[in-house]
Amino acid sequence: MKRSLLAFGLAAGFVTHAQSQPAGDLVRPLTIVAQPQAASPQEYQAAEMIAEAWKSLGLDVRIRPLPGQQFTQVVWYERQRWDATTWQMVGRPERSDPDELTYNLFVSANAANGYDFVGYNNPEYDRLAQAQREELDLPKRQALVREAQTLINRDQPYAFLVHPKNLVAFNKTIWDETTMVTQAGIGIRNFWTWTTMKPKGAQKDVILNSTAPPTNLSPFNIPGAQGSWATELVWDRLMRIGPDGLPRPWAAEAVTRPTPTTVEVTLRAGMKWHDGKPVTIEDAVFSLEAPGYGDKSPMYRPFVGNIAKVEATGPMSLRITLKRPDAAFLVSSLSKLNLAPKHIWAPIFEDLKTKPETAESIMEKLPIGSGPYKFVSVKLTEQVVLEANTEHWAKPNANRWIMRITPNVESTMGAMKSGEMNFLTDYTGDPELLARMAKSSPDIKLSESLDIGFRFIGYNERRPPFNDVAFRRALSATVDREAIATDAWGGAAVPANSWISPALAYWAAPDIVKQVPGGTVEAARKMLKDAGYVLVDGKLHYPAGVKETTAVFQ
Amino acid sequence: MTLPRSARHTLERLGHLLLVLWVVASLTFVLFRLMPGDPTLNFLSPSFSEETRAALLKGFGLDRPLWDQYLIYMSNLLHGELGMSFLQGKPVAVLLVDALPNTVILTLVSLCAAYAFGIVAGAFLAFRRGGAVEAMAIPAALASRAAPEFWLGMLLLAALSFEFGWFPTGGALSPGQELAGVGARLVSADYWWHLALPALTLVLYLQGLPLLLMRATMLEVMNDEFIVMARMKGLSRWSIVMRHAARNALLPVVTAFALGLGASIGGNVVVETVFAWPGIGRVLVQAVQSADYPLAQGAFILIAAVLVTMNSLADLVYSALDPRVSVRARR
Repeated sequence: MKRSLLAFGLAAGFVTHAQSQPAGDLVRPLTIVAQPQAASPQEYQAAEMIAEAWKSLGLDVRIRPLPGQQFTQVVWYERQRWDATTWQMVGRPERSDPDELTYNLFVSANAANGYDFVGYNNPEYDRLAQAQREELDLPKRQALVREAQTLINRDQPYAFLVHPKNLVAFNKTIWDETTMVTQAGIGIRNFWTWTTMKPKGAQKDVILNSTAPPTNLSPFNIPGAQGSWATELVWDRLMRIGPDGLPRPWAAEAVTRPTPTTVEVTLRAGMKWHDGKPVTIEDAVFSLEAPGYGDKSPMYRPFVGNIAKVEATGPMSLRITLKRPDAAFLVSSLSKLNLAPKHIWAPIFEDLKTKPETAESIMEKLPIGSGPYKFVSVKLTEQVVLEANTEHWAKPNANRWIMRITPNVESTMGAMKSGEMNFLTDYTGDPELLARMAKSSPDIKLSESLDIGFRFIGYNERRPPFNDVAFRRALSATVDREAIATDAWGGAAVPANSWISPALAYWAAPDIVKQVPGGTVEAARKMLKDAGYVLVDGKLHYPAGVKETTAVFQ
Repeated sequence: MTLPRSARHTLERLGHLLLVLWVVASLTFVLFRLMPGDPTLNFLSPSFSEETRAALLKGFGLDRPLWDQYLIYMSNLLHGELGMSFLQGKPVAVLLVDALPNTVILTLVSLCAAYAFGIVAGAFLAFRRGGAVEAMAIPAALASRAAPEFWLGMLLLAALSFEFGWFPTGGALSPGQELAGVGARLVSADYWWHLALPALTLVLYLQGLPLLLMRATMLEVMNDEFIVMARMKGLSRWSIVMRHAARNALLPVVTAFALGLGASIGGNVVVETVFAWPGIGRVLVQAVQSADYPLAQGAFILIAAVLVTMNSLADLVYSALDPRVSVRARR
């Protein structure tokens, strides 16, 4: 009877257990920092839903939208200041291997100024993350990665929200839909589609959109998501992430790992740069070494950080010696580093030695690569025009690849309808609108695929009460991920409880989303009560004896 | 030796112009650096370390003390150097020179069309005051003047582009087309076809001011004694309206044109964004969004220079059109 009365009271949200439990200080008003609604409407709506749920626990919760750059500045560089934040990790082919996120997001060595910006610190997790990094046996590594996910589920350093779906559309009267390639966790907007898609008629140019201009297009710069679509077509890499999400030789004919710290590469024969010169083993060695020259290639330097030595072992072969075993090396380095022509870039690096600039800021007039497409013209704020490299062994079926920079999504949809564009690659609007357009225009085919990326709320573990696992677990329990996927993302997302998307089925812990602690507001209240938190007049207080010493976010 | 009064006046204006530009240049420098964070925040990736960030900042020259950055910036500016775009890796001057003709063409075409229409329609409405035409035309002019540019643009896009497919949805050229130089653009039918909708949006937005201004001034002028005199002389109505009244009524309209030209160069941001028109407005928006300080500073200084120059020009044209407004008269 007593229990049922308490349950009733808890459900009503006004029970005071102060009579039975002594209370600590009132929990200060908590702030969720987020991007403004205009910048990310889905994320903002999710934050609003979460704030409401947290309020039902007796917390005073507010959302503080911050403009893009300030948002990043606060979350990233003022790590003692905020309570909780919305954030996202975007899907990229190289994230098909779980190492990058598994290691960077939660390993305590990255807490001071790396990617563990929430300050999660668990030696048990550190050990698992390092072990999976060095484990070359696939099933053993799979077990380690899944164990790491279970551990994170237990500790809830984030409230994982959703894995969004990629929404793209194309004109199926122009492009043969059977020639589109779906890449795990990326969808059909990928390198393989651009090289294999077949035109049905006279229109052989693929015309796609980008809502933001790419930055400088160079083999030593990461030019944003959209710019990368172009650079990966122009510059070959020794390996590429295949449609199955696993690395496969590309500009290399073969890649072997005779020892845990040695990688042997045989270069594909007969390759040529777009200026007609042959691709040599010296070019390949240079491409693996150049990012490590001083501080001239800061963006690519981390990808060669584990390379101790690169040496040519024959006219078409080279050996890479690693400083330590690295299970993800083929994905995170060999599938990431661009092959750059030594005859063009060696003099540039030489020249940079005496200048403050880095290689990222250098853009050739018409950049030279060896990939299946080559540059025709580049106007970063208008369009990037590539044409098929007919001498490439993987010669594309399209004639040209034209990326139009159109910030206005409505214009882009109009252009799809009118045929000015035939591939909608960058859609940031309402998923419902896109579905409606596809329904009303029989020529347009909509393609949905689950992304590698995810959205989440990060708890700042440096600031009480977020340093308390029980408190974090209770907050996570109130998050209705189904409702967020349906209402905030309009159904274009699936619930998440891990940094590894179900799209990467091999690595994702099965049913991890069903293992969220608690799962209801009532359960969350009980978790808080069990941890000693007390409701006084409907307001949540710390356990007895705990003082509130942390300042409210201003 | 004393300078002639007109030369002194011109020098004075030049001094003002330089002062304004210095203030604008200094403000843009300070404002961007007051924003929280720095341009490296646009590149955040899990692979980034503090060293990576430091190297990028050094590459951008942002590792130096603020005063040092300011001195370098002002010194470069005096030498006509606007620096290199952080994100595009090209000289700012090249990027601005590339975008400026598109903005100038869009602005001139729209302003000329809007003012030509506004002047004629304003004179006509003043002449036909009190009629049914005026009762419909004035609210229509006011409504188009009050309507936000982006809304007008989206309406035109929805109707004339999405629905009927008469005009392209954006950009300055069809996909894959490339034209070098202003001359090539001006003789390209494709370019004019792409210009039509953004220009029409601006014409609809801009015509209200000259129309209402012309009408109001005409109504005032038509009551002046010299018009009565012209009537008494038996001149034709056409001659009275066009040769006598309109010329006098034009003065404020011409001033508004010059000011409007200056303002539009920097004020086309919305229309350029809606129609993906590759002009200065879009350059500015993208530069600000990505904290590309040199490019944003360059764009602001260019816009300020055009605005200040057009103000000064308006002054001179005003003096030329109305000899009563002279240096001497103002003293």
